[in-house]
Amino acid sequence: MRLDRLSKSYSEAGQNRIVLNQVNQEFYEGEFVCLLGKSGSGKSTLLNLISGIDAPSSGHVFIQEGNREIDLTRLNEHQRTLFRRRHIGIIFQFFNLIPTLTVLENVILPLELTGRSESRREGRNRAEVLLDQVGLSERLNTYPDKLSGGEQQRVAIARALVHNPLMLLADEPTGNLDTEIGATVLSLLLEMIRGTGKMLLMATHAPEIANHADRVLHITDGMLVNDTV
Amino acid sequence: MQLSITLACRHAWRRPAQSIFFIIGVGLGVAMIVAIDLANGAANRAFSLSTEAVAGKTTHRIVGGPSGLAEGIYVALRQQLGYRLSAPIVEGYVLAEELDMQPMRLLGVDSFAESPFRNYLDGDNTGFADDNGFTAFMVQSNTVLFSAALANRYNLNAGDFIHIQVGSRRQTLQIVSTLKSDGKNEQRGLDGLLITDIGTAQEILGKVGRLDRIDLIIPEGTQGEITLKHITNILPPGARIEQPPDSTVEEMTAAFRLNLTALSMLALLVGIFLIYNTVVFSVVQRRSILGSLRALGVTRNEIFSIIWVEAGLLGVIGTILGLGLGYLLGRGAVQMVTTSINDLFFVVTVRQIDFPPLTILKGAISGIAAALTAAAIPAYEATNVRPAAALQRSNIEERTRTALNWVSGVGVGIVLLGIVLLIPEWHLSITFVGIFAIIIGISLLTPALTLGLMRILSGLARVLGKSFSPLIRLAIRDITRSLSRTSVAIAALMVAVSVIVGVGLMISSFRLTIERWLTDLLQADIFISAPSLISDQTTAPLAPGVVEKLATFPGIAQIATSRLIDVSTSDLGVIQLAAVSMDIAGEKRHYKTAVGDHATTWGALEAGGLIINEPMSNRFKLGVGDEVALFTDRGEQRFPIVAVAYDFDVQPGALIGDAIYRTFWDDTDLSSAALFVEIGVDVDAKIDELRAAFAGETELVIRSSSGLREHSLAIFDRSFSITVALQMLAMLVAFIGILSALVSLQLERRREIGTLRAVGMTRRQLWKLTLMETGLMGTTAGIIAMPTGFILALILIYIINLRSFGWTLQMYLQPIYFLQAFIVALTAALLAGVYPAWRVGGMQPADALREE
Repeated sequence: MRLDRLSKSYSEAGQNRIVLNQVNQEFYEGEFVCLLGKSGSGKSTLLNLISGIDAPSSGHVFIQEGNREIDLTRLNEHQRTLFRRRHIGIIFQFFNLIPTLTVLENVILPLELTGRSESRREGRNRAEVLLDQVGLSERLNTYPDKLSGGEQQRVAIARALVHNPLMLLADEPTGNLDTEIGATVLSLLLEMIRGTGKMLLMATHAPEIANHADRVLHITDGMLVNDTV
Repeated sequence: MQLSITLACRHAWRRPAQSIFFIIGVGLGVAMIVAIDLANGAANRAFSLSTEAVAGKTTHRIVGGPSGLAEGIYVALRQQLGYRLSAPIVEGYVLAEELDMQPMRLLGVDSFAESPFRNYLDGDNTGFADDNGFTAFMVQSNTVLFSAALANRYNLNAGDFIHIQVGSRRQTLQIVSTLKSDGKNEQRGLDGLLITDIGTAQEILGKVGRLDRIDLIIPEGTQGEITLKHITNILPPGARIEQPPDSTVEEMTAAFRLNLTALSMLALLVGIFLIYNTVVFSVVQRRSILGSLRALGVTRNEIFSIIWVEAGLLGVIGTILGLGLGYLLGRGAVQMVTTSINDLFFVVTVRQIDFPPLTILKGAISGIAAALTAAAIPAYEATNVRPAAALQRSNIEERTRTALNWVSGVGVGIVLLGIVLLIPEWHLSITFVGIFAIIIGISLLTPALTLGLMRILSGLARVLGKSFSPLIRLAIRDITRSLSRTSVAIAALMVAVSVIVGVGLMISSFRLTIERWLTDLLQADIFISAPSLISDQTTAPLAPGVVEKLATFPGIAQIATSRLIDVSTSDLGVIQLAAVSMDIAGEKRHYKTAVGDHATTWGALEAGGLIINEPMSNRFKLGVGDEVALFTDRGEQRFPIVAVAYDFDVQPGALIGDAIYRTFWDDTDLSSAALFVEIGVDVDAKIDELRAAFAGETELVIRSSSGLREHSLAIFDRSFSITVALQMLAMLVAFIGILSALVSLQLERRREIGTLRAVGMTRRQLWKLTLMETGLMGTTAGIIAMPTGFILALILIYIINLRSFGWTLQMYLQPIYFLQAFIVALTAALLAGVYPAWRVGGMQPADALREE
């Protein structure tokens, strides 16, 4: 993935506030990149631009899919949604599970949204395997509000991986968990993606997480700064 | 209290959509109650003010039969007895061309006798706008007086001419003065009056030599009793003294008005669901704030008062707006109610609508009470928020599930109570309480029924597996997991739709019953009557010689005549008596009970019996074998009842043999004629021939049997126009209920929606999801509304109509009404879903995810 002069600014009370300023950066298959920055520094905004949830003010997000490079910023909202559905997995700080769906249904959801009839059975099998891997095979039919925070985040990890995405974007995935649970969740996540070739970009303000990353990027005043570990 | 008000105002201000929905719920409910109350009151008030203005200081009056009194009685009263406190009156209804052809009460008076009776006709000229008005009125013929307000409204002045019509007569009258009155009510009463000299009135109304009554002022006490005795002694057998009736009109229309009031209250009931839902949402949204407040030391009572004060404030705003809207709607409703009263009961013209303090009070109490009652449960729920712990939405839903059995149990209990209230024949208002109880009971069963239906759908989704979109499963879950809110919106829609089914089935069954009854009854080919101001009655007499002339036309096989009059009774009030020369319906006339077969019954009628209509039988508990005492020109006479016939008039009525009628009443007039044409004669051609023959000679209404049937059905349809309008308004409130529920649910689920978008749900899928949710809610409401509506129809047909008007109607089940109602429910829900779906579709996932 390549970010090319990516910028994002908001208009606030008549003032233009630049959150990301001409960001250039490349990311590679299989690497775990940690994005460090203070609260409000623009970490979530960058993840939203990369996932296509939000559109940049200027610049490009190029993603290599097989032999072709796709400019995400040239896709319309609908195309970006479909791209995200297929190639990107997202993990949120507050888990963001759908409270009206069971654990299993939450995990299958990204596949079911594709509407392909064959994906349901395949998806179910894959979701069961993933939930087994995260240690929740006994809780398939439980609703999210009956789970602990750590368990909910494990479901969110399974949901982010179920459609076998090219990359995973995690926004403070341990930010809402205590240190011990957070560490468990992080190691589980790394265990599940290491060796799969998936890129993991994780926004956090916890420097200890950076110890596990292949590369650390600092986000300050809208700029990305490399800090190789 | 200060804190409660501040917090309540801030929340209401920051959540404008919810506040607006709340205000609409209260406002529309109040508006309905006020509009119907105004309409009901205005017609009756106009009639009673006009009656009061006419009655003046009259304490008693001498009345006679349908042809009134001979003038000689008045002469005897003044000359023989020397009784000066008496005034002769001739009156009737006319149409005034210059006054928009509105029906006006024409009052013929003797200006020399008027002074003690009616202030505005005082000889000292104080009531006259023109100095010489009284003198001119006394000395000039063909002159008329009417109120200054009316003259101003139609820009008429003294010296102008007006043209009035009564039946086929047209007369030109000159305005000699207008009348003013210091009393507001008296002025209003004068608004519907045209006052002429008694001789002019006799000529216009075709009552030359006759009086309708003689007004009297009788002193109280022994002296008065002696005077009454003296007057009674000189009266001929057909004349009698009575006191001016004051409550007849109220009683006559009581059931009609109660039916309308009940329907207007349904809108408030639906509004209560809307208010309840809005408050529940506001509590759910504020659960963390409420938790924080509790942690800061705010007591449970204070939490309750925050919610209640907010509901009260919004309730007051809604009530004020509702009162204003009710006044505006009331103007339209007055028109509809007046038309129905004119069609069915009596002639009344409403020119001014008051806003009586009692109506304002009723509206205000209803609105604020509805707001506070609906807010009480969620306000109590809010007090259960634990300090510093945000109450999870799931906790509330958990509680709803726990309460489900309890709520359903109460629902069943209330339904049973409703059934119990329907069984005995208590006052009609208790029967309506029974209906409301059944509707509220079924509403309380709605959450359980919704859950059951959603489970069935879920099961289907599982069985059908992959062919079911995951969106449907999501939609089903969203409805069941937010049951505390969705079920209330479904209940509101269900109530409105069940009213549409119930009232629709009742009206269609009623219409079909009447149509078949008319088809059976109207066996003659051509019906002829004089034009009448009361649409479904033919009390105006035919011009003399009409029937004789009809008999001369070729192709007429037989002529049946009828004379319709109002007859007083000592114990049953006024009943409509129809004196008939033959039975035009023959064996097709259906009796509820009779002395024998058709021939025997008709023979008994011709021998002096009465066939009373079902409303009369039911209202006064009369049956075959009982007797009815009627005031005739030969004094009070008793007539045996020989049959009770099915009939759908609103007033009690009876048939009597023409020969018997003429024996006891000195009346030579006829009201209508029914012609049987010879075989092979073209009815329409014959009607054209008759119309041409009578044109310019006498004004007649000539209709074929099918024309008369259509005319009657048109009146029927007009009578129910206000019912349909009320149904539509209840539906509007329910629609807003669903809309409010959906908008609030989506506000609450912003982050969830953001997540769905983040994991790949497209805008189109989100649209579909929202519309599926509303579609399922509409479907559920439609499914529950169908049996509820059917139950409502059964009660309306077999209990309410029977007890209100004494009619036995047949239930005709037409599937189209169920289908229509289902489509209405679904369409309303889907339409209500469009705006939330559009909002959701436009929601930026990044913004939605950012919100906590």
